[in-house]
Amino acid sequence: MIDFDEELKRFEPSLEVEEAVENIYSQDLTDMTDIFKDMLQESRKIIK
Amino acid sequence: MRCIFCEVTLDSGDKCPGCGEDVRLVKRIIATSNALYNIGLKRAAVRDLSGAVEALKASLKLYKQNTDARNLLGLVYFEMGEQVTALTEWVISKNYQPERNRADEFLNKIQNSPNDFENINQTAKKYNQGLAYCMQDSEDLAVIQLKKVVAMNPKMIKAHQLLALLLMKEGRYDLARRYLRQAEKIDTNNTTTLRYLKECKNNLPKEDGRRRKGKDRDDLVSYQSGNETIIQPRKKHDFSSATSVILNLAIGIAIGVLITWFLVVPGIRQSEKSSANVSLSQANDAIAEKEQTILSLQNEIDELESQIEAANQTSDDAQIVLTTYQQFLSAYIAYANGDTEGAGNALASVNTDYLDATGKNAYDAVAAQVQGDYLNTNYEAGYQAYQDGRLSEAIQNLLRVVNVDETYQEGDALYYLAMSYRKNKDDANGVLYSQKIISHYPDTERAREALRYLDSLGVEPNAPGEEATE
Repeated sequence: MIDFDEELKRFEPSLEVEEAVENIYSQDLTDMTDIFKDMLQESRKIIK
Repeated sequence: MRCIFCEVTLDSGDKCPGCGEDVRLVKRIIATSNALYNIGLKRAAVRDLSGAVEALKASLKLYKQNTDARNLLGLVYFEMGEQVTALTEWVISKNYQPERNRADEFLNKIQNSPNDFENINQTAKKYNQGLAYCMQDSEDLAVIQLKKVVAMNPKMIKAHQLLALLLMKEGRYDLARRYLRQAEKIDTNNTTTLRYLKECKNNLPKEDGRRRKGKDRDDLVSYQSGNETIIQPRKKHDFSSATSVILNLAIGIAIGVLITWFLVVPGIRQSEKSSANVSLSQANDAIAEKEQTILSLQNEIDELESQIEAANQTSDDAQIVLTTYQQFLSAYIAYANGDTEGAGNALASVNTDYLDATGKNAYDAVAAQVQGDYLNTNYEAGYQAYQDGRLSEAIQNLLRVVNVDETYQEGDALYYLAMSYRKNKDDANGVLYSQKIISHYPDTERAREALRYLDSLGVEPNAPGEEATE
């Protein structure tokens, strides 16, 4: 049996055009290559 | 494939040719990202859009610059009715790869149809309003709003789902199932859609099966014969007789004719009308174009004619200037040869308006020298001819003087000219020059003589200072 209120919580507002720019800037675009680069730099600091 | 450290294009080796970093792990990451993109592509191809989104997001988490994966993610969002989210993905993609990016094509299509773009935004706003109504327990308003959203953007899956959820809450499972089926056609493997469909299925009675059984029972007749129950088909009327066939055919033909008359014929007429309108519009366009061409050609002709006219005018002016200089040269030559009269005559015919500054100065210098001699020679000759009674010759010479200077010798030239005309019986000119004497030299013996002449003719003299008119 579906719980209406619980189901309703799953629905999120749709993105409007006015919010698009803000949405682009607020996205976390960190990927695996960024993490890898950070790890490499950290490890090199430790070695030095 | 580019190095993540220095952006140099990688070769097949394990080290970057640019910075020398070990890129084995980077290559693995990118290869895995590409594999996930391929999975996303396959899922999208079979309309498993939710599954495709999942794979493509994972692909981008590994390598955010995978432009193909990001463009496809945008396309999938677009297909799911999330157009603004799709736009953001394409804009990010364009940011990572400004050149030779397919996102350009998608963005241009949207930019070139501002009405569609506005429609997309309105849909998103209406959906959000519908969701807000749900949160405020105004479910009736939410249903109305979401029905509008579904009509405006039939691809918006979450609008179908939310509408179906509201309908299920109201117990309208049949209608909810219809909206869920539409959502299922867009995204075949959406778990929310499938869960809601299952809920509808559980709550809807199995009508089809029961109907079938009931119908079967209606078609059968059973009765007891001894200990056995006999079941046999109900006897039906045989409608396949010749009469019924003919009747059905006639009804079919009548329906066909009616359909043709009311549906097909208006369509054909409309089509013909549209075709005629298109032809008319094309013809009007062609006429307008021809008229425009004619107008532009006419303008061209007018411009060329004005150029010809200007060129002719310039040519005429040049001819006049040339003639003027020739006359001036003749005057100068005559003067140099001591022919004062010839020089004066030639100078009198020179129109100084066509001389330039240098020519004008030369003219003034020559004229100043020639004019005195010229006037004196003509006056003396004219006066002598008057005294000798050669009146025509006197008039000719004196006229030359008066034409140049009416006041010559304190009006003597004017007086003798008037008297020459008088004696020559040319009273019209005699009166004209007599009037000038009276006007310019009143209270002199010559003026009194001129008055006597006018009086003898019965002509009213001018007041002193008043200009004589011809």
